[in-house]
Amino acid sequence: MAGRPLSTRGERLFHCSRTPRCGRPVSSESSAVMDILPFLLVQCLNALSQAALLFFLGVGLTLIFGIMRIVNFAHGTFYMFGAFLGYSAVRVTGSFWAGLVLGPMVAGGIGAAFELGLLRRLYKRDDSAFLMVTFGLTLVLGEIIRLVWGVNALQVEVPDALSGIVFLLDEPFPVYRLFLVASGAIVAVGIWQFLERTRLGLLIRATSQNAEMVHALGVDVNLVRSGIFGIGCGLAALGGVLAAPLLSASLGMAGNAIIDAFVIVIIGGMGSFPGSLLAAILVAFVQVFGTYYFPDFAMAAMYLLMLLVLVVRPGGLLGKEA
Amino acid sequence: MTVQERHPSNKKIPLAFLCVAVVLALAPLGLPLFAMTLLTEALILGLLAMSLDLMVGYTRLISFGHAAAYGLGAYASGYLLLHTPLALPFAVLAASVLAGVVAIGVAWVCTLTKGVSFSMLTLAFAQLLYAVAFKWTSVTGASDGLAGIPRTSGPFGVTVFQTKNGYYYLVLVCLLGAYLFCRSLVGSPFGAVLRGIRENEAKTLSLGYNTRLYKIAVVAVSFALGGLAGALYSPFAGFANTELVFWLFSGQVLIMVIVGGQGTLIGPILGAAFFMLLEHVLSQYTESWALFFGLIFIGFVMFAPQGIWGLLTRRARV
Repeated sequence: MAGRPLSTRGERLFHCSRTPRCGRPVSSESSAVMDILPFLLVQCLNALSQAALLFFLGVGLTLIFGIMRIVNFAHGTFYMFGAFLGYSAVRVTGSFWAGLVLGPMVAGGIGAAFELGLLRRLYKRDDSAFLMVTFGLTLVLGEIIRLVWGVNALQVEVPDALSGIVFLLDEPFPVYRLFLVASGAIVAVGIWQFLERTRLGLLIRATSQNAEMVHALGVDVNLVRSGIFGIGCGLAALGGVLAAPLLSASLGMAGNAIIDAFVIVIIGGMGSFPGSLLAAILVAFVQVFGTYYFPDFAMAAMYLLMLLVLVVRPGGLLGKEA
Repeated sequence: MTVQERHPSNKKIPLAFLCVAVVLALAPLGLPLFAMTLLTEALILGLLAMSLDLMVGYTRLISFGHAAAYGLGAYASGYLLLHTPLALPFAVLAASVLAGVVAIGVAWVCTLTKGVSFSMLTLAFAQLLYAVAFKWTSVTGASDGLAGIPRTSGPFGVTVFQTKNGYYYLVLVCLLGAYLFCRSLVGSPFGAVLRGIRENEAKTLSLGYNTRLYKIAVVAVSFALGGLAGALYSPFAGFANTELVFWLFSGQVLIMVIVGGQGTLIGPILGAAFFMLLEHVLSQYTESWALFFGLIFIGFVMFAPQGIWGLLTRRARV
């Protein structure tokens, strides 16, 4: 089976932090104080851009869990699917922006169809049935992706408008990462407003609190569920499309992504939207600074953080149920 | 749960068990060496799946990190065989005990939560172990893993385990012994409490049982047996690598349990054999056997939650 090593992830993502320019100060003490600021700024922005990607992953999973009480094991595969869809969209249309729209739409549609066709039949069964059916979907979808796109990692070009470098306090920083931070913030605010202000958002919140009551009021709860499953998968795919220029689309993505997504949802509290945002930022900072200061333990740091949170608050930071 | 509860009568070892044991013991006489290799691996995986069944089928602790037990056992026995003069059966036993002891710590943390969070925590622990296996080069060999693990000669000059068939008997004895152990365990008052936790933990708790301790105990036993399977695997294959600890493998073991029939002990062993056979047959015809495997698995969860064993026994009763 395709067991891809995780180890290259940190090095690849945070390559910038390894360059001498961003290195720790070497000269006199006064310049050390002067140099630490740009370094911190760059690392924090790195972490925030990473947090944006993690947020796309986590928020979809947590929305699905909040409404449907099910864990979507295939979430990481939808993220990977998004990256490959983004690659194809760029190849066919020549535009990265088309990929940003098409990728989530296709993945979301397939997700909703999966809910309609299979998951809907399982609502009377216990939680583990969902976990296992979606695990089956992981195998099937992963294999289909391998058949369609092949086994090689596919590089997606950063769009021209975002390919440059800006200097922040004399430190070079890729524009694309700033774009990621911005898009993460936009999507976070967008989802928040959607949940708070729109009628569909109201229905979603109501369904998560008491599905039977919403059903009794004449709302097609099943439709809400299909919709939210599609939206969750679409968000994961959006993360995949955005990650593709950084990581390139590869078959190893799904495994990393699903673990990250689970960790975020558990740290933030299952079903909590602000929790997933908080957890994504926390995890990203741990990953980025962990990779810099303790390269050997960076992989473990995220899990240790999760264990710590669970021992202190078994329901997650902002979760309701323990 | 729709799983049929048909517990073997506690005292007697059924005739069927003896028949199967005899047939398996005679297998090396009739099967070519190649088939024996497959069968040995199937039995090892069967042991692993059966150990997971104690958690999944009897206690409803859905572990998504059972590869951790397997990997721990595999690495530990591999390391002991490579770097110490310990005889093979003792190395295997020590690795199994290690897995059980580690499991107590893991379970202590994991049982802080319930349901889905428990599954995710076991997954996280397995991944933590995966990370350790990847980075602790001096012990685990990092991404290369441990290679060239020998089947050393046994204690008191016994060399029978060095041959393929001799090793098969070691595996067979371990599996049969573990099965009898598990069978008496689930038939005991301890097993009754486990089933109580599965059906209604709050009620079991209110009856005065410290359910958390029971859960920790069953995870420890399950990990020790899973570790035994892993410990048997690495001298059999001659290597131990990070793939044995990877989350995908944990999922595969869970598939074996579900497809075989959870809460039956025998079912998961059949599931493991079915898995091996299917993988072997499908990979002869198509490269994308995982696709069909996923579809078959989805089919089982949707339409036959009682698994192969459930289907077989239901057919027999009609």
